[in-house]
Amino acid sequence: MQIYLPIAEVSVNIFLLLGLGAGVGFLSGMFGVGGGFLMTPMLMFIGIPPTVAVASEANQIVASSASGALAHWVRKSLDPKMGLVLLAGGIVGSVFGVQLFAWLSTLGQIDLIIRLSYVGFLGIIGTIMLIESLSAIHRRSRPDARREGGSVRRKRTWIDALPFKMRFPRSGLYISVIPPIAIGFVVGTLAAIMGVGGGFVMVPAMIYILRMPTNVVVGTSLFQIFFVSSLTTVLQAAQNQTVDVVLALLLTVGGVIGAQFGARAGRYVKAEDLRALLALMVLGVCIKVGFELVLTPSDLFVVMPRGMEGAH
Amino acid sequence: MLIALLASLMIQQTAPEEAPMIMAALTQETVEIRENFSGAELILYGATRGLTIEDEIVVVLRGPDSDLRVMQRERNFGIWVNRAPRNFEAVPSYYSIASTQPLENIATLEALQRNAIGLRQILSEPNQTESAETRAYREAIERAGNRDALYSTAPRGVEVLDGGLFRATLVLPPKIPVGTYDAEVYLFRDGRPIASRTTSLRVVKAGFERWIYDMAHDWPLLYGLLCVILAALAGYAAAAAFSRR
Repeated sequence: MQIYLPIAEVSVNIFLLLGLGAGVGFLSGMFGVGGGFLMTPMLMFIGIPPTVAVASEANQIVASSASGALAHWVRKSLDPKMGLVLLAGGIVGSVFGVQLFAWLSTLGQIDLIIRLSYVGFLGIIGTIMLIESLSAIHRRSRPDARREGGSVRRKRTWIDALPFKMRFPRSGLYISVIPPIAIGFVVGTLAAIMGVGGGFVMVPAMIYILRMPTNVVVGTSLFQIFFVSSLTTVLQAAQNQTVDVVLALLLTVGGVIGAQFGARAGRYVKAEDLRALLALMVLGVCIKVGFELVLTPSDLFVVMPRGMEGAH
Repeated sequence: MLIALLASLMIQQTAPEEAPMIMAALTQETVEIRENFSGAELILYGATRGLTIEDEIVVVLRGPDSDLRVMQRERNFGIWVNRAPRNFEAVPSYYSIASTQPLENIATLEALQRNAIGLRQILSEPNQTESAETRAYREAIERAGNRDALYSTAPRGVEVLDGGLFRATLVLPPKIPVGTYDAEVYLFRDGRPIASRTTSLRVVKAGFERWIYDMAHDWPLLYGLLCVILAALAGYAAAAAFSRR
């Protein structure tokens, strides 16, 4: 059954969209990630214009992060103060990202920048995650060398030397606000350009750079993602008119159902195995997008509407 | 309207000495894009007066114009980068030609140029030899249009019926843009058009599609806020529904 998407202006099979939502939802529920980095390339692959794919995916992330953030809020497993500081950076990043997106579109380079961002970020994050999880799996096989938790005394780093320190009681931190604002900014920009929530950048950054306790990391990241993707959706709608609400809602319906089953399936797999699988998936998307950059295209010319969006 | 038109022509046909004439009407004057739209097929009916065995008929359907930018892909440090943009103004977003014979058998190049029939004639400067480079860009536009079935030619797409009547089937693919389309019919004799007529077609979004599209363009900020509220509610509902189990 075909459905005509009013903003994307293409006719797509409705079950393909629901299935795509459910499939990505399943994986995101299982791995505890937003799934934007999988969904946006898939949408472009099935023929949704890149600008519409990125903006509509931001809208879908609003839905998926809302349910996650809410659950963490109830369990008090998020740091609202840190979330607000990250959000402050995120708002600036999102506004900047939407402008950058519009500017790159007029240059005809938006496709290239989207792809390069994917290859760069997914490549780095995927590689780090894969190495980390493989070494965790390796440690598991040698029980004597295992060291669980244990309060390792934090070493002083360059982070501690920065000014404008603030106390974050729920994370038990007293650090400068500059690093969280900078992280929020980068994530907000990525959200606008790549059509992702940015959890895959924010979560490692919170753990390794801010050294936040892991139990509040996911909740705080979802909190920030919810507000940043809401803002990105409104900005994209207001400035570029590229948010397709029908597309976003269909993906959401498939997504929420898939996520529940994914979360259940995830309980049967060990955490480090899950991280290794996720790392492989991230690298898989990175390689696929990377191939599109280097393989000779079927047509050596691109035709695009003037002063507007990407290629078709 | 169609019947009245045909009837009036049938009556007039009894007068043989009048100048040749061609008329046409579409089975639909408005194509509505609704949520289940997946392309449309229209039939253009026409009638001629003074049609002889040597005469040929050409039907052109042209969609609203838009400005395009064409860029060349070039490999730089191993990756493909868009470069050397060229702008083309007033390029038809949709263009299809149906005729009783392949166009080159019907008309001289000069006649095609003068009447701007055919994409090549529309996209290239008249009376100028085209450089190889310009030609590559122009052909890229044609290829892109062909890929989405927005450009098409049917060299035998016009069917001549008895009594100077004819019929052509026009296919609108799912990707067609909204706007006013012009359907032109030409009667060719000895390589030149001796009669022509234009009729128009409107492609509009309708119903739910139109409502969403209009809101997104007329009140973009409100639309964006509504999208966010809807998504947040959907997320909240999902969390509530599944946590109860």
